[in-house]
Amino acid sequence: MTEDQPAGTEGGSDRRDVVVPLRVYKAVTVFSTLFAVLSVVAGFILVDVATQRASAPASEIDVPVGIAGIACILAGTVVYAFSTRFRTEEMGKSKDDAT
Amino acid sequence: MSLERKDEHDHKGWMESRELTPIESVYLTVLVWLDRRLRVVDYLEILEDLYYKVNMQMPKSHTEQYNLDNKFWYWYPLYALGSFSTVAYIVAAISGALLGFYYAPAAAAADGSPTVAYDSVMLIMGQLNLGYFLRSVHRWAAQIMVAAVFLHMLRVYFTGSYKEPRELNWLIGIVLISLTLVFGYTGYLLPWSQLSFWAGQIGVEMSLSIPLIGEWVAQLMFGGFTLSQATLQRMYILHVFFLPFITTAIIAVHIGIVWMQGIAEPH
Repeated sequence: MTEDQPAGTEGGSDRRDVVVPLRVYKAVTVFSTLFAVLSVVAGFILVDVATQRASAPASEIDVPVGIAGIACILAGTVVYAFSTRFRTEEMGKSKDDAT
Repeated sequence: MSLERKDEHDHKGWMESRELTPIESVYLTVLVWLDRRLRVVDYLEILEDLYYKVNMQMPKSHTEQYNLDNKFWYWYPLYALGSFSTVAYIVAAISGALLGFYYAPAAAAADGSPTVAYDSVMLIMGQLNLGYFLRSVHRWAAQIMVAAVFLHMLRVYFTGSYKEPRELNWLIGIVLISLTLVFGYTGYLLPWSQLSFWAGQIGVEMSLSIPLIGEWVAQLMFGGFTLSQATLQRMYILHVFFLPFITTAIIAVHIGIVWMQGIAEPH
């Protein structure tokens, strides 16, 4: 049960899968999605504020806030992408669970 | 037996049993920490359970059984009109209750200067914060309710939903659409403007034209054969006391019967 699929095995797939109990899988799905949605939305709001809804001339763009917004969007994306490596028993390709 | 909720998993135990990278274990620790405090997952699980329980009791609908959806789908939006009129009714009730804080049903000042009722409507429209908005919401809710109720009746007619065993609910619906129109009429008179006044005059004359009981009806509904304070006061009490109680009760029965009998399916 440890490290079900070592990186780089099986047809060049370098996806890492971590099998966790169902309850933990639910927590991962719910909270990472929640976090990702909130931070992406917050990121877009920050970018909007920084650029005055994309209407500000280049000289008046608030650079730190804009970068913070993009960072927020990226953070949400990373968290979501990271969450996809967790799965629970009986998920994914059945032949993987059989071994 | 402890009241404390048992944890299904010994988080620390299984996490140590796996080879997790540092990022993964921090990630999981944070999410599990959040999970044990916010309990979002528990509530979602309750909803999921509820969903399956509700749907397990549902037999296949007639449209599903005979695959009528492809011919019938364009009627489905019109099945929302009943709910739509109920929502309009609730909106009108809430905005009407708020308007009631400022409106006074008094037809004083018969010497040609504006009446108390008209002045209170002008106050709502001109002076009161959000008053214009409030009265507009009430008016639009009323207009929409009349329209939605009428279209709901057409939908019921053209889908044949009034047929046995639903005749009783059709008749109750007829009563409800009439009550809706009376609601509209009484509310129309309340501003006691020129429009209201002459609409009231028409009402009196229509009542008087009824054979045999005409005079009695005019007395009962309008408090006399000419418009006066009595007319306005009766319209007010009808609008804010009698009709709300009667209509709400009948709507409850109407919806209750739909609930018991189920929605009529197309054949």
